[in-house]
Parts: sequence; C-alpha cells; structure tokens
Amino acid sequence: MVTPSNNHRPPKWADRFLAWFCRNELLEEIKGDLHEFYALELGDKKPWQAKLFYWYHVFHFLRPFAIKSRSRQSNTLTMYHNYFKFAWRHALKHKGNTLLHVLSLGLGIACSIFIFIYLKGELSYDRFHTDVDRIHRVAIDFVDSEQRRIPDATTPPALAPSLVKDFPEVASAVRLFPNWGNKFLLGASPEKKFHEEDFIRTDPGFFDIFTFPTLHGDPAKALEKRDQIILTRSAATKYFGKTNVVGENLMQYLSDTTVVYQIGAVLEDVPLHSHFHFDFLAAIPFENLEQNWGWYNYYTYIKLAPGAEITSLEPKLQPYFESQLEERDYYNLIYSQPLTDIHLRSHLKWELEPNGDIANVYILALLALFVLFMSCLNYLNLKIAEVSKKYREVGVRKVFGANKGSLIGQFMVETLLISFFALLFASLLSQGLFRQLRDVLGRDISILDPENFVAFLMIGLVVVVVGILAGLYPAIHLSSFKVALAVKGLFNSSGKSTNGLRRGLLVIQFAISTFMIFCSIGVYQQLQYVKNVDKGFSPEQVLVIENIQNIPNQQSLKEELLKIASVSEAGLSNGVIGGLNWTSSLGYPDAFTMNWVTVDPGFLGTMGLALKAGRNFSPDRETDKSGLNFIVNETGLQQLGLTYEDVGKRVKMTEPQDSTRDGTGTILGVVEDFHFTDFKSSIKPFAFFYRESPQNYLNLKLSTNDLAETLQSIDQVWSQFSNQAPLDYFFLDQNFAELYAKENRLSNVLLFLTILAILIAVMGMFAIANITIKDRTKEIAIRKVLGASVSGVTFLITKHFLLLVLLANLIAIPIAYYGMQQWLDGFAYRISLGIALFLITVLLTLSVAWTTVGLQSFWAAISNPMKSLKEE
Amino acid sequence: MKGTNLGEFEELILLIVGVLYPDAYGLSIRQEIITQTGRKAAIGAVHSGLNRLEKKGYLLSKLADGTHERGGRRKRLFHITAAGKHALEKNHELRNSLWNQIPDLAWKNLPYGNSFQ
Repeated sequence: MVTPSNNHRPPKWADRFLAWFCRNELLEEIKGDLHEFYALELGDKKPWQAKLFYWYHVFHFLRPFAIKSRSRQSNTLTMYHNYFKFAWRHALKHKGNTLLHVLSLGLGIACSIFIFIYLKGELSYDRFHTDVDRIHRVAIDFVDSEQRRIPDATTPPALAPSLVKDFPEVASAVRLFPNWGNKFLLGASPEKKFHEEDFIRTDPGFFDIFTFPTLHGDPAKALEKRDQIILTRSAATKYFGKTNVVGENLMQYLSDTTVVYQIGAVLEDVPLHSHFHFDFLAAIPFENLEQNWGWYNYYTYIKLAPGAEITSLEPKLQPYFESQLEERDYYNLIYSQPLTDIHLRSHLKWELEPNGDIANVYILALLALFVLFMSCLNYLNLKIAEVSKKYREVGVRKVFGANKGSLIGQFMVETLLISFFALLFASLLSQGLFRQLRDVLGRDISILDPENFVAFLMIGLVVVVVGILAGLYPAIHLSSFKVALAVKGLFNSSGKSTNGLRRGLLVIQFAISTFMIFCSIGVYQQLQYVKNVDKGFSPEQVLVIENIQNIPNQQSLKEELLKIASVSEAGLSNGVIGGLNWTSSLGYPDAFTMNWVTVDPGFLGTMGLALKAGRNFSPDRETDKSGLNFIVNETGLQQLGLTYEDVGKRVKMTEPQDSTRDGTGTILGVVEDFHFTDFKSSIKPFAFFYRESPQNYLNLKLSTNDLAETLQSIDQVWSQFSNQAPLDYFFLDQNFAELYAKENRLSNVLLFLTILAILIAVMGMFAIANITIKDRTKEIAIRKVLGASVSGVTFLITKHFLLLVLLANLIAIPIAYYGMQQWLDGFAYRISLGIALFLITVLLTLSVAWTTVGLQSFWAAISNPMKSLKEE
Repeated sequence: MKGTNLGEFEELILLIVGVLYPDAYGLSIRQEIITQTGRKAAIGAVHSGLNRLEKKGYLLSKLADGTHERGGRRKRLFHITAAGKHALEKNHELRNSLWNQIPDLAWKNLPYGNSFQ
C-alpha cells in the first residue's frame, strides 16, 4: 500500500539501486540533486509520475563517470579477473589443444541443438489450431469375415452430420474430401492452366474446427456456396500475381465443359507443420450424402463442446455406428484419435499425407543425446588427461598459498572458458546449418526464436555443467598431493586414479561409436537390399503420363506414341503400381480386400509383369472387357482359394449381388508376385481388369538413354491431342523410391551422426594417446637403447588402446544387435544380420584406433632416443 | 583535439554555470537549461557534462551546505576557471568572426524550407 507519507519520499529501491552502482564520492551530491528534483516534481505531478521520473533519472546515471569500478571494490573479483587472465593465456599457449576441445565439444553441441530443434518441429504438428485439445479425427478399421482389421482413415459422408445431430458433446464436425488422385485443370484464363492436386472439398464448418488465418474475404461464407472457391496466398499469387483476388473468377477445365468458380476468400498458406495441406478449398458438390453410410471416402473431424470429454464419447461411437447400418454379421470398428496424435502416431491406410513416426523421433532424440553425451565425455576426458601438465603449476600455486577453493576456481574458469567458446561455435554452426537447409526444412528456423531458445538454453546448461565437472575433478585431484614432489615434477600422469577414469570414459565413447557404426551399416544394408531385390516387375525406364482422363481418344494417343522409336511398349491404367490403386472386397466364401487397377492389354508388358499361367487380355474377346474376368497375382490366387488348375474356368468369387451379377468369374491369367508397396508389409493380392473406358495414366516403357530427345517427341505427340493441357509425367522408379524416403533420410542422418561420433572419439583417443606417449618418452628411449624394435615399441603402446576398443565392442555390439533386430522386425522383407556386419564393425573400430594411436606411437618409436634422454 | 575541445552541450553548461553564478549546481543548471532553451536533459547527463568539464579544467567545484529538500545532503557548486573563460571566449570569437565574414549578399532573398526552388 502506498500511504500519503510514503509519497513524500522518493522510491526506496531506486535509492538503493543508485547506492549500489554509484561511486561513493559522487553519491551524496547526486542523491541530493535527485531528492531535490523529486520534491520539485511532487509540486506539479502525481506521485506515481514523479516516482517514475525519479527512476528514469536514476537510470540515467548509469554512465561511466558515475559507476563504481568494481575491480577496485572486491578482492574476489580481482581473483577471478586473474583466473580469467591465466585461463586465456593457457588457451592461447596450447592453441592446438584449445582448438581441438572447442571443435569436438562444439560439433557435438551443434548437432544436438540441430536435432532437438528439428524434433521440436515434428512434435508441434497441428498445434496451431485454437482449442486443439478438443479436436479429434474419427477413423475406421475395416473388418472382414475373418475378423481381420484393416485400419483406414476414411469414413462415410453421413457420419459427420449425424454426430453433430445426435451427440450434444460434439460441437461441430466437418468432412474433408480430398482430390483422391485426381488432378484438377484450373486456370484464370485459357492460356494459364495448371494441374492442381491440393484441392479439398469440405463443409462450411471447416473454420469452426480448424484455424487458418484469413487474408481477404469471408471463408466460412464462401464454403456455403457451391460456385465459390477459397485460395491460399501462394495459389492466388500463382494465378493472379496478387493476393487480393476476392470476387475474381477461376475456371476448372473438364474434357467437355468449363466450371467457373468465384473466389470467395484468400487464406494464408497452410503452415508446414500441418498433417494436411491444401491450396484450394470448395464446398462439397455431391447430393444425398446425409444418409450415405456406404461410401468410405470422407475424412471426419469433430470438435467437442467445451467441457466434454472424449473418453465419455468414445464408447458411444461404435453402438451408434452399428445402429445406423443394416443388420450384418460383422461391423467395421469406429474410433477417434486426437488431432495432435495424427502426424506421429497414426499410420492408417489413406492418410491425407505421409505421416512422421514417433519411433523415428525417439531414435533421433537418442542419437542426439548420444552425440552430446559423447562430446561432453570426450571433453571431460581430455581435461582430466591434461592434469598431468598441471602438477608443477599447481605446486607453485600452492607454495604461494593457494587453497583448494582458489584452485577449483582457477580450473573452473579455464574449462568454462572453453565451454563458452564451444557453445558460441556450436550456435554459429547450427544457425548456419539452419540457413543452409532452409529449403529442405521448408521454413526459416533460428535458435533465437523464442520457442527454440529454451532448448538452446537447456543444452547450454548441460555444457556449463560439463565445464564445471571438467574443472572440478582435476582441481580436487590436484589439491591432494604433496607440494614438494609436484614442484620437483616427480609425478607423472599415469597415476592410477586418473588412468582408470580416463580409460573408462574412452571405452564409453568407443562403445557409442561402435553402436552407431553397427546400426548405420545395418540400416544401409537393409536399404540396399530393398532397393536391389527383385520386385517382380521392372519400374525402371517407365515413364508415366498423368491426367490423360481429359484426352478424348486415348487409343490413338497411345498408338502415336508407340511410333516413337524409343518407346518400346505402352499401356493404359487407372492407377499406378506403388502409388494409388483401388480396393474391393472379393472372395467366396471368405471375403478379403483385393487391390486392383483397370488396364489395357499393353500394361503387363510395359511393367514387365511375367505371366506364370493363363494368358494376357485380348482386345478381340469381348468377355475380357467386363465382369469378374481378370488377371491376378499369385497371392491373390491363393487368397481366392484357387490353384493354377482353376485358371480359365468359371468359378464363384463373391456373394451374388443381383440377377445380372451372380458372383462368378474367370481367372484369365496369373502373374508372378510383385512388390507394389514398401517392404514393410508382405505382398498383398492384386488384380488387373481390362476396361476400354477412359483411363488416368499412360505408362510408357522407354528403351533409350537420350531422354531429352524422347521427351521432346512425346511432347510433340501430346500437344496434338491435349487441347493445351500441360504434359505431366513422372518416372515410376523415382515414384517407387519415395516409398523409402523415410528410411533413406534415417540412413543419411545416421551416417552423418556416426561420422561425427567417430570423429569425436578419434579426437579424444588422439589426445589421450599423445599424452600417454609423452609420459612414456623416457621409457621408450630406454627400451630402444636396450634394443627394443620399432614394431615392439609401437605395439607396446597401441596394445592398451586396442584392448579398450575391443572392450567397447564387446559392450556395444550386443545392444546394437538387439536394436537392429527390433528395427528390422518392422519389415516383412528383411536382411538377416550376418557375421560380416560384426566383422566390419570390429575391424573398422580397431583400424580407426590403430591409425590414431599407432601412427603416434610409431613416430615416438623411431625418434632418436638420445634426444629424449638428455632432456632433464 | 581531445581534452581541450568544447562540445556544444558542454558549452551550454559552461555558459549556464556563468549565468547562475554563484549558485550553479547540477539540478539548478538542468532547470536553467530547460527554461532557457526548452531542451530536456536528464540530470545524469548534466552531471556527466559537469564531470567532464571539471576534468578538462574549465570548472572548479566545492561542496556547499544542503537544504531541507535534499535531506541535508550537500550540493556541489561550480564556477568557471580562467581556462573555462578562455575556451568560451575562443568559441565566441570564432563564431563572431565567422558571422562577420558572411557577405551581406548571402542574406538577400533567403529561400524558405529545405530546397532552393
């Protein structure tokens, strides 16, 4: 409380502050002036204003002339000033060592800063929506007759509106209907058209649930009208060159008509850390969805009412879902997942975008910790090893009366100085990395961002603690010996206590390196296996032209393209192997999920799919082109419960659906099994149907290395048919490689970190070996004088280190083996960890150690013994 | 030359010390600056300027008795030294001399504002 009497006096804390920093000889007059000033101010200002001004003027005295010079004030400060001076001189005197310390510590810190900030991004997915805790996605597991569950992210269109209607807990619900592989040919004018994929249809409630900032217009209203469309900033810029385009028209070009949309709103671009992205939003254009429980092609998101709990809603979902469907033997399972869990923990079929993996987050975090831990250990180890050089210095200090406290202070200042430089180096390095990788990361990241600063501070704290530890150990160790001996230099560093600790630390470092070497080779081997294994078909040199559904005469296009010399085969399809394909329930009496695409007779040849039985489709047989007459892979044949003898016969394949479709069909042919998904899942049943209706993709097998010329010829043919639509194409093998993008990234990161870890371990071993050899210079010389050979001496020193490395291997390899087994279990097709992997790891670590230590010992062994002996 | 040069703000303080003779001290100088020039100056800035001027030898100071408002704290009274007077004179002369050297023609048809148009 401010009492009236209090106001007559200036703020007490301001005076204390002044007294704290101001020179004593000036304090009286300054304080006098300020008080007089305050009294004057009180005359015409409110007390709080006067106080504020008082503070202002007090702060204005923070000028060099008025501030106490601290060094003259405090003995402790003078001491630390002195420590700092010594530490600085020490760092400059041993430039090489200082650099080694800063580099090895800094590299480790930089790398962990980088990884932790990257992981923070992974963990922050979808958190930008307001009330994100109340947003959930509803998903479904398909259940087949054998009670097998196939998790799927898609739900029927009737679900979202029904949930809002029948559950008071659900405040709002929204459906998303993505492009499902279609590309939309959009344009602001006929001359400027693009194929667009990121086009989502949704309900007006979209903005009740999701938070995407608006630039112009009213987005919620725009979704209520079917002729309106919402663009993102970058889409608007792409088509119109500006962002405020509300009210302008955007055309969708179909093969026969043109749909005109009016732009209703423009949004900011979707943040990178969102589990789905779009450039265009429009209302759902389909009718009669409110009663449709049969289609599974909508994503359902709900937002709970404030105070409602998902745990109370969850048990009601399944009974409700079943009550909406007709009676049947088994029902699909419905459940919800929190929005923020989708990116890292949801791996359903048909996710909107490939998600991350919580396992990878853990792996990376572990690796980052490893590297940080290792570089800290290494630093600690080097510092401990350097103790030997300090005996004399400490001895002299003690003679002059230094006590334990001041010794600790001295060492700590020294180590903290290095820590500080390492931290500085690491921040610059990681900041540089972020800048370099701006394109890869998709945004600007800075360690100075407030959200990243905490992570940075934490790592900084670790480094400071390591600095303190590194200073503490030698100080305590050194303060416990007899001065006289130390000054005489009768100690050497091979004192038992430091040696044991040093070796222990070295073993831990090498164990970590071994672990990482083992794992990165294992991951690399698995990836190579996956890349090179026979896929059962050949995606190499297959060019896939997309968006041919708008081409009126696909057959003539195909025939014209086949006239190009380097196009050896061509086939039409409505899906891509290793990309999108359709699925249906098939099989009698037990139904299962069959993957399928519609194709033409050229498709099997283009893909290099080998027939094991039966025949290819024939354009001359009309029965091939309709009904359940198809070619299947071996797994599919087996799942249908058929054998090669059934090929060509009419058999029952599914429940009769109506009078025209009795559920029977013919297997025309069987192709060898082929991998059309990643190698994490086993081969699934796959069927090919021959249809003459327009297809979506034209696959071309090329037989050339001159791609540029071939592409030019293809483009020429294309332009005759395309009606100005752009030619969009990709290569199938590249598309396939993207299935392994995640594993590839992991492998690269692992390799990078392994090299870093080895580097740090080598630096550590190098320095320790160096010190050991210096300690034993005289011993080596005497041995040589007495007739020891160079190889004998080299071996004598290297032996110890090799034993340490072997010990590290012994510790690390079983752990690494177990970890790799766990990781490989995620693959249906995998390598087995062979003896070669073990041998390579052991030999690699041994040879690294051998070169690091061996070379140094060799130099020591061939030096002239006279030189080292006469030094006394 | 550092040490003998008289800055603009220093010159102002020095002149005001003269004006306020014999009662020139930190706060009174500040108040005088505000009333005479309309310029706002922090008390710290004035003290810092006085400190510099004293170091250059243009001012001398002594401690005088405090008043009630100051809580009995003494104040430091300043007066100009011969060197201070000399520095002021030099500045004054330089200014006058330069002023007198401006030809009358320069004062004809003076333009307004920032441009010659």
